[in-house]
Amino acid sequence: MREELENVIREVEKVIAGKREAIEKILTALLADGHILLDDVPGVGKTTLAVALSRAVGLSFRRVQFTPDVLPSDLTGFSMYQKAGEALVYQPGILNGTNLLLGDEINRASSKTQSALLEAMEERQATVDGKTYRMEEPFLVIATENSVGTAGTQVLPYAQMDRFLVRLSLGYPDYEAQMTMLRDRQGVNPLDEVRCVMTKEELTGMQREVRAVSAKDVILDYITRLTMASREHEAVEVGISPRGALFIDRMAKARAFLEGRDYVTGADVQAVFRDVCAHRVLLKEAGDSVGRVLDELLKKTENPDRRGLFAGMKKA
Amino acid sequence: MKKRRAGYAVWLLLAAGLYFFENNTGTRVVLLCAVLLPLIPPLRAAFFSPDGPAGEDAAVSLTAGTFERTEQEETGDIRPYIPGDPVRRIHWKLSAKKDELLVRETAAGTEEAEKQVTISEHGRQKKTGRRAAAVCAAGILLCAALLLLTPEARHGAQALCNRLFAASEAVNRYTYVRFAVPEGQDILPAVILLGCIFALLTGIALALRSRLMVFGIMAGCTIFQVYFGLAFPTWINIPLYSLFALRMLRRPVRRKDLTACCALILLVTLLVAAFLPGSDTTTETASEEVRDRLAQITEQITGTAAEAPAGETETRHLHTRSLENGEGEAETGQEFRLVTAEEEQISMPHWVDWVKMILLLILSVMVVALPFAPFLLLNKRKKEAAENRKAFESDDTGIAVQAIFRQVILWFEAVNAGAGNVLFRNWAAALPEDLPEGYAERFARCAEDCEEALYSSHPMPEEKRRDAIKLLKETETALWKKSNRRQRFYLKYWMCLTE
Repeated sequence: MREELENVIREVEKVIAGKREAIEKILTALLADGHILLDDVPGVGKTTLAVALSRAVGLSFRRVQFTPDVLPSDLTGFSMYQKAGEALVYQPGILNGTNLLLGDEINRASSKTQSALLEAMEERQATVDGKTYRMEEPFLVIATENSVGTAGTQVLPYAQMDRFLVRLSLGYPDYEAQMTMLRDRQGVNPLDEVRCVMTKEELTGMQREVRAVSAKDVILDYITRLTMASREHEAVEVGISPRGALFIDRMAKARAFLEGRDYVTGADVQAVFRDVCAHRVLLKEAGDSVGRVLDELLKKTENPDRRGLFAGMKKA
Repeated sequence: MKKRRAGYAVWLLLAAGLYFFENNTGTRVVLLCAVLLPLIPPLRAAFFSPDGPAGEDAAVSLTAGTFERTEQEETGDIRPYIPGDPVRRIHWKLSAKKDELLVRETAAGTEEAEKQVTISEHGRQKKTGRRAAAVCAAGILLCAALLLLTPEARHGAQALCNRLFAASEAVNRYTYVRFAVPEGQDILPAVILLGCIFALLTGIALALRSRLMVFGIMAGCTIFQVYFGLAFPTWINIPLYSLFALRMLRRPVRRKDLTACCALILLVTLLVAAFLPGSDTTTETASEEVRDRLAQITEQITGTAAEAPAGETETRHLHTRSLENGEGEAETGQEFRLVTAEEEQISMPHWVDWVKMILLLILSVMVVALPFAPFLLLNKRKKEAAENRKAFESDDTGIAVQAIFRQVILWFEAVNAGAGNVLFRNWAAALPEDLPEGYAERFARCAEDCEEALYSSHPMPEEKRRDAIKLLKETETALWKKSNRRQRFYLKYWMCLTE
């Protein structure tokens, strides 16, 4: 584990106890320069986690609570006529100058707002009145979706879900973690104690390094076989897209980097596979579990360790 | 309500008119349907009660959803804002444009007026429909005027009528008083004008979408049939008037009504066809004709059978004769065939023997070589194993670590202690329990080294090789001790894992 990243995790853990795994995954997604969909019940600390992360890494943080009447122009900004200058003046939106955006309950936003956000996520730019505004680097969106109370919501289309790098879930803390949390909140707000241990520039540098992590052909072959198997699985309607395969690769690289390696291993792929692919697979039957299908795929597909090792035998 | 009764009266009148003009199956079905359908209690409601509240018109105006405000409000008076005016009535858009506050003034100035919705989407559609119908009607008038006023067209129409009269006279027994028209009159302009009128009528029917238009078409058809004495065939009349009946149903048309109506019409048609088929004379002549025709056809068929080509019949005759008298001959034929088969067998070419000999040779060589085969095979495996072992001393530490670890994995799998399709670093948890102390940790470490060697491209330190060799030695001793005789044989001679 890298020293700087370990520090970041330690800072965030001051606020969210007992969620090391989730924090690691979010940090991995941040390193992979991808966006996160948090599917969770309310009140488990999604916002707190995002704020803590943004403070620890020194990112500018903003939060939008999506409702049906949040408009695209609220996000991307808009041009307003100003009488004094007789000109249209651009009013920046929420996205401008934000590094970490928490979009709460994205499924409550109208579809046009969703699409504006997703476009900004994909292109990292917003176009208003023909002028293009670049997003701040790095740019990470953490969108949340409540798994309960979905009445009156605009379900994210499958094609838009595909754009999120991972779909994660924090889940409730266990007994120990909740006790720690309650104890910590007795005095001061632990959020104030989070120090900035990394700079934005360092983070973008790391993102660049992540891209340079090497993935051998054995790994790429493994990813390809996994995704193709998902498309042929008998319980699956729509399998993992090529974009999904790309994202597995990216996320695996980021994980390898987080672990302090400059090469991707089969374990990295297996570790990120479920988080990256759970929201990309559409099953034929509603009652079926995506987790089960993905586990089955991992189990059935020959792992790269074995393949790589025994492919080398013929060469040697 | 009144409209529907009037509609029914027209229907009955048309059906009766048709029946009294020509008494055949079709007209009987039409009249019976007209009388019967509204008499059936469940259908009576469908024919006479007014259109449902969620009728077509209402449904459209409700679903259209886009209500427009009254025009009066759109162009309502605009006046400057006076303090005290309700803020709601400020015309913001205009105010922004003119840079002063402007207020809309509605006629009554009440909220009701604002909310008033007059022209629904459907209403507008109806309006445009009416406009189109009016245009069509004007066109019809123009065409009719042309038809009546230009002598060419008028004479053409009269000539057309004369032709139809002639056609009718050919079928019926009465004679018509013809129009006095010069011989060889061109009927083309009249036909064109009539075609125009017909097209425009269809246009009106489509534009208005009204039931009245169906009445019009029915009436037109009936008048045509009666006036010219030219009845449509039964199979046209029945569906035509059935359509009329279905059109009379209350809207929205319920599936139940529709099926009941169709079923009844079908039933009436079948009953009439079975028990009251047309007027007596016509049916009789028809059946006579059919009988004649059938007789003719049978005659023709039998005739052609007799006149089959001469040669063929002769050959057939010959065949039958031979079958009748020549049984003995057939037997001899069979014998002959048997004899030829034997001869053929005797005179078969010698290549079969050659094949047999070659096969025998191959078999004998195989039998001789069989004892040596396992040695050849094992030797190959041995060579492979030796090559793998040679890789232990490779200059590249990475390749050496891989080879050594591969050997470890092969050992485990040879004694059925492997963990299957699981990453090697996770094998440590699934290894058998009776291995020496700390073995699992060493294995896990070595698995990670192997991973590094496998996936990374940087060189590995030399001590990794030593660690791996140590692990392999430990594995060999532990597993050899553990394995039974069969497994040892397998390890030694098949996998060639021991030296």
